[in-house]
Amino acid sequence: MRRRDFVRAVIAVGAAPEALLGQQQANPAPPPPAPVPWLLGLTEKTPIPHVEAAEQVAAGTLRFFTPQQMATLTRLSDVLVPPLGQKPGAVQAQTPMFLDFLIGSSPEERKQVYSEGLDWLDAEAKKKFNLEFAKLTDGQADALLRPWLRSWIRDHPPTEKHADFVNIAHDDIRTATVNSKEWYAAPDAGAGSQTEVELYWSPIQPDVSLEKADSASLPPHVQAEPKAAHSMPSYPR
Amino acid sequence: MSSETYDVLIIGSGHSGGMAAKILTEYGIRCIMLNAGPVADVTHDAQRKPAYELPYRGFRPPGRIEHVYQSNGFNANVWVDEQQVPYTFEPNQPFNWVRVRLFGGRSLFWSRQSFRLSDYEFKAKSHDGFGEDWPISHADLAPYYSRVEGLFRVTGAQDGPPQLPNGNFILDDAPWTLALRHFIDAAKPRGIPVCKQRMAQGRDGLASSVNLLLPDAERTGKLTSIANAVVREITVDRNTGLPNGCNFVDRLTHREMNVKARVAVLAAGTLESTRLLLNSKLANSSGLVGRYLMDQVYGPGVLASVPEARHGNINGVMGSASIVPRFRNIGTKTDKFLRGYAFNATASTEAIPARNFAAYGAELQRKMDEYNGTGFHITIMGEVLGRYENHVRIHKDRKDAWGIPVLHVDTKYTDNEFNMAKDAVDTACELAEAAGFEILAKNDQPNPPGYSIHEVGTCRMGNDPKKSVLNKFSQSHDHRNLFVVDGAQFTSAGWQNPTMTILSLAMRASEYLAGEMMRQNI
Repeated sequence: MRRRDFVRAVIAVGAAPEALLGQQQANPAPPPPAPVPWLLGLTEKTPIPHVEAAEQVAAGTLRFFTPQQMATLTRLSDVLVPPLGQKPGAVQAQTPMFLDFLIGSSPEERKQVYSEGLDWLDAEAKKKFNLEFAKLTDGQADALLRPWLRSWIRDHPPTEKHADFVNIAHDDIRTATVNSKEWYAAPDAGAGSQTEVELYWSPIQPDVSLEKADSASLPPHVQAEPKAAHSMPSYPR
Repeated sequence: MSSETYDVLIIGSGHSGGMAAKILTEYGIRCIMLNAGPVADVTHDAQRKPAYELPYRGFRPPGRIEHVYQSNGFNANVWVDEQQVPYTFEPNQPFNWVRVRLFGGRSLFWSRQSFRLSDYEFKAKSHDGFGEDWPISHADLAPYYSRVEGLFRVTGAQDGPPQLPNGNFILDDAPWTLALRHFIDAAKPRGIPVCKQRMAQGRDGLASSVNLLLPDAERTGKLTSIANAVVREITVDRNTGLPNGCNFVDRLTHREMNVKARVAVLAAGTLESTRLLLNSKLANSSGLVGRYLMDQVYGPGVLASVPEARHGNINGVMGSASIVPRFRNIGTKTDKFLRGYAFNATASTEAIPARNFAAYGAELQRKMDEYNGTGFHITIMGEVLGRYENHVRIHKDRKDAWGIPVLHVDTKYTDNEFNMAKDAVDTACELAEAAGFEILAKNDQPNPPGYSIHEVGTCRMGNDPKKSVLNKFSQSHDHRNLFVVDGAQFTSAGWQNPTMTILSLAMRASEYLAGEMMRQNI
C-alpha cells in the first residue's frame, strides 16, 4: 500500500472506533473481532520508516545482455559519456546495468538494435585491432565510432545500419547518465547537463482490471522514502 | 437508481464537450456529461521529482505507450494505456493515436497555437478541385472564432495575409529579435510571409476546458457530470429510432449502467466519437462514418544555430516565435503537391540537445556550451488530403478492457504528403542559409500519421447526405437529435492547429441546438 492510500485508509478508520462502539452498545451480542481494533493508533503522526532506493545500495542482476555484450556496453558507455569535471561518467552512474533493465523490458525491435549493435561493435574491434571492444584504448574506440556519429532530429535517429545503433545508444547512455542520482548530486557541468526535474504524475485512480493486467507489471518505484517531516519519537525505556 | 431523462447527453469533457456544456447550460438546458477517465487533481496526483526517482530514470515505461512519442517517464500515467485500450493497424502503416481520458481530455495538454481556418481551407475544392468544400465559410464561423479567442485570451498581431485570417487578439507588439529579423529578411524576397505566433494564454497559465469552460457550465446548476464512465454504445428509442441515451461501463468496477437524454452530443475526440457511432451502428446512411481520416504532417524540420548568439550572446538576438502561414498554392501553383504547409519558426533560448552534434564526451560538452541558446527551429505543419481509403473501422474480434470493440486504423501518407515534406525541408534550409544560420540537423521524413494529435474527419460535414455524415450545424443527417461537435466533423484538415475551429464549431452547433430545442424542433 502506498503511503497516500495508507494515510487515506487511516483517516477513514479514524471514525471507525466510535462507530464500532456505537454498534456494540446497540447490539452487545457480537464479540469484538480482536483484543484491539486493527489499525488502531495509526495516524498522520505515525513515523514513516526511512528507506534507500535499491539501485543506490544493491547490485542489479544481469537479465538481458550476455556478459560479453555487457562488457562491450560498459566500455562503450565509458567512451561516449566519460567523467567530466566533477560529473560522474556513465559507468559511475551505473548506466550499463540500468540499460540492461530498460532494454530488457523493451519491445523486440529495440532489443535487436542493441544486441546486434553490441555484437557488431565487438566483431569490428576484433577485425581491426584483434582485441575485444572492451579492451580497446580510447583512440582505438574513437576510430571505430567516429565514422558513425550523426546529428539528428528528435524521433528520427539515423536509419542507416550501425549508425542507428551508435547514435541511439549514445542518446540513451547520455540520458540515463544525466538522469542518474550520481549526476544530480554533482555540481553543474555546463549547458544541457541538468538532470530532468519535472512534475511526475502518479497513476490516477488506477483501474481495478489494470492492476491485474500484465500491462500493469510496473516495477515498484525506485525512489527512497524521504525522512518524515516530524521527528522520530523517543520513548522512555 | 435514477431514471431521470436529461435534456442533453454530452460524451467527452475536452474542448468540444466543455464548450457544448457551457453554451447549452447557459441556455438553461439540463446536461449530463460523461467522461471515460478520472478527474486529475494536480495537488494530489502529481509532484515535482528528479528523473532518478522515476521507475525508468525519465524514460517512458517500455511497451505501454510506444506510439505516444510525446510521452516520458514523468507524464506516462496521463495517456491512455495501449494495452488497456488497444487499437490495431497493419505493421507497415503505423498510426500514433495519442489519447488522454482525464476529465478535460486533451484540453489539459496542448500547444496553445490558435489559428483560424481561411477560405483556402473551407473552400479548398473550389481552389484546386480536390475533395469537397465545407458547407460553411470563414464568414459563417468568424463571429464564433472571435468569441472563442476572447474566452481563451489569444495573443497575436493583426498581421495575417488572407490565408491566416486575423482575429480578436490581445495585441503582441513586441519587436522581433535579431534572429527573426534575419529570417524575415530571407523570407520576404521569396514571397514567404512571417507572422507573429498566435497563442491562447488562458487563465493562470492554463487554457483548458476545465478552467475556461466547465466552471461556467457548473455555475448554472444545470450540469451533472460523471467521471470514469466508459460509453459502450448510444441507445435508440425503439418507437422513433432516435438516440435516447447511452449504455456505459464504470471504469473502476466494470458495472454496466445507462443514462437517458433527449439529445446526444458526441465530443469524445475524433476517433472515439467515430468508434462510438460505428459500435452503435448509427448515423451511417452515407457509409462514410470512419472515412476521410486526416491529420497533419509533423516531424520534418530543420534545426539551425544563429552565429551572432554564440557564447551566451542571446539578449536581443534570440527569443521570438513566428508562424509562417501556408504560402504554396496560394498566389502561384506548384506541380509537386496540392495544398501546402506552414512553418513554426522559433528562436529558442534553450540548450541545444546533444543529439544535434556529431560528437561525444568533452568535445560534445564544449559544443553544447558554445551553441547554448542559439537554436533556430523550423518545423512543418502540413495539410494531409482527405482520402476515402484512409479510414477506421471496428476490429472484428478485438476488444478493450471493458469489452468494447476496438478500432482498426487503415491510413497512410501519399506522394502528396511526402513531396510536401521534402519541399518544406528544402525551403527551410534555403531560408536558414540565406539568413546566415548554420544548419545542425534536418529531417524530411514525416512522423507516423496521428503524431500531430490533430486527427480530424471520419464524420465530415456537408450539404449532401450522400457525401457527408453531418450537416453544416454538426447535426447528423440521419438523426436530428444527434450531434458530433469534435474534430470528426472536419471536411478538410488544413495546416492549422484545429483547436480554435473545434471550439468555434462546437459553440455554433450548441447555439443552433439550443435554438432548435427552444423552438421544440428537437
